Amino acid sequence: MHSDPTDLIHRAQQGDRAAFETLYHAHVGRVYALCLRLTADRALAEERTQDAFVRAWERLATFRGESAFSSWLYRLTVNEVLLGRRAERRRGARIVTTDDPAALERPGAASVGAGTALDLERAVAALPPGAREVFVLHDVEGYRHEEIAQLTGVAVGTSKAQLFRARRLLREALNR
Amino acid sequence: MMCPDMEASLNEYVDGTLSVHERQAVDEHLAHCAGCRDAVVELRRFVTEAHQLPPSITPPRDLWPVIGRRIGQRAARNVQPAWWRGALAAAAVLVIALGLYRLLPPFAALYRPPGRGWVGVQADFDRATDELGVILAAERGRLRPETVAVLERSLAVIDAAIAESRAALARDPANAELRRLFAAASRQKVELLQWVTRVAAS
Repeated sequence: MHSDPTDLIHRAQQGDRAAFETLYHAHVGRVYALCLRLTADRALAEERTQDAFVRAWERLATFRGESAFSSWLYRLTVNEVLLGRRAERRRGARIVTTDDPAALERPGAASVGAGTALDLERAVAALPPGAREVFVLHDVEGYRHEEIAQLTGVAVGTSKAQLFRARRLLREALNR
Repeated sequence: MMCPDMEASLNEYVDGTLSVHERQAVDEHLAHCAGCRDAVVELRRFVTEAHQLPPSITPPRDLWPVIGRRIGQRAARNVQPAWWRGALAAAAVLVIALGLYRLLPPFAALYRPPGRGWVGVQADFDRATDELGVILAAERGRLRPETVAVLERSLAVIDAAIAESRAALARDPANAELRRLFAAASRQKVELLQWVTRVAAS
């Protein structure tokens, strides 16, 4: 059964958990992909995905429909991941940029013609966190540098420098 | 091989973020630099591949059970504060009611605490309305914007009446009519706050 997204959002805003669960199923793939690429860690990506949906539930009342629900949710997800990374940095925890290829496999992703994409995914995951975040947000998700600067708290120039560094490192990693 | 000092320019060239003048300068450089031309082709291909990565990845396990549980726990936690807020609101109303009772003229007042008088009653009223104000601030997000607008206008009118009668009572503390005016305005404020906190918590 297909439900009207606007109706689902409205019902979820009224506290209807079943409606919110339907929204979860519609968006979890995008949210998880974003978390996985930003964190390069499967367990952490699962955790951040859960955090993002819990936060979305708490903040549903603030969604007024000025933007698409998906845009609102993905931006909230980026915030959750970046906040989580800052908190971990404060705790001195190490972010896994990983030598473990298993962390970068993408269960459920399209397998046809995925060789190049998987190489790129692995190379992205091996980037330093700052460069990886900017690359994922700019080149994969299509955010502008001004938006990235706002989200990550860095200057626009720093965002650009991180992007160019990421592309250089990726080219080197992919032997191009 | 890209010229080392051209990295930023070539990246911005590919991203389309250069000014017309800067773009012309890069075009001129590319016209005679094969290494940078190759780099541009490579960057473009690379950016295209990044854009084409699958937008969606299915998590290895269903994450909803944990999310559903966490949402449920938060909802349960929210019930307790709502109950406490209700109790606090009731207590605040009781304090105000006692204070207003003591404000009534001597023939109606059965109990007037010695030595406290007007100042003590005002303090009780301020504390109680502050408590209701805190409850309201916590619940404000649950109210519709139109309700908040009406509430704010009504509170402004009542607060002005309270301030006026309070100032008059400061000059003439024994005036029974002024006490009644203050009591009426205060009762209105209490009833309004009590109603709105009840609506917000429901």
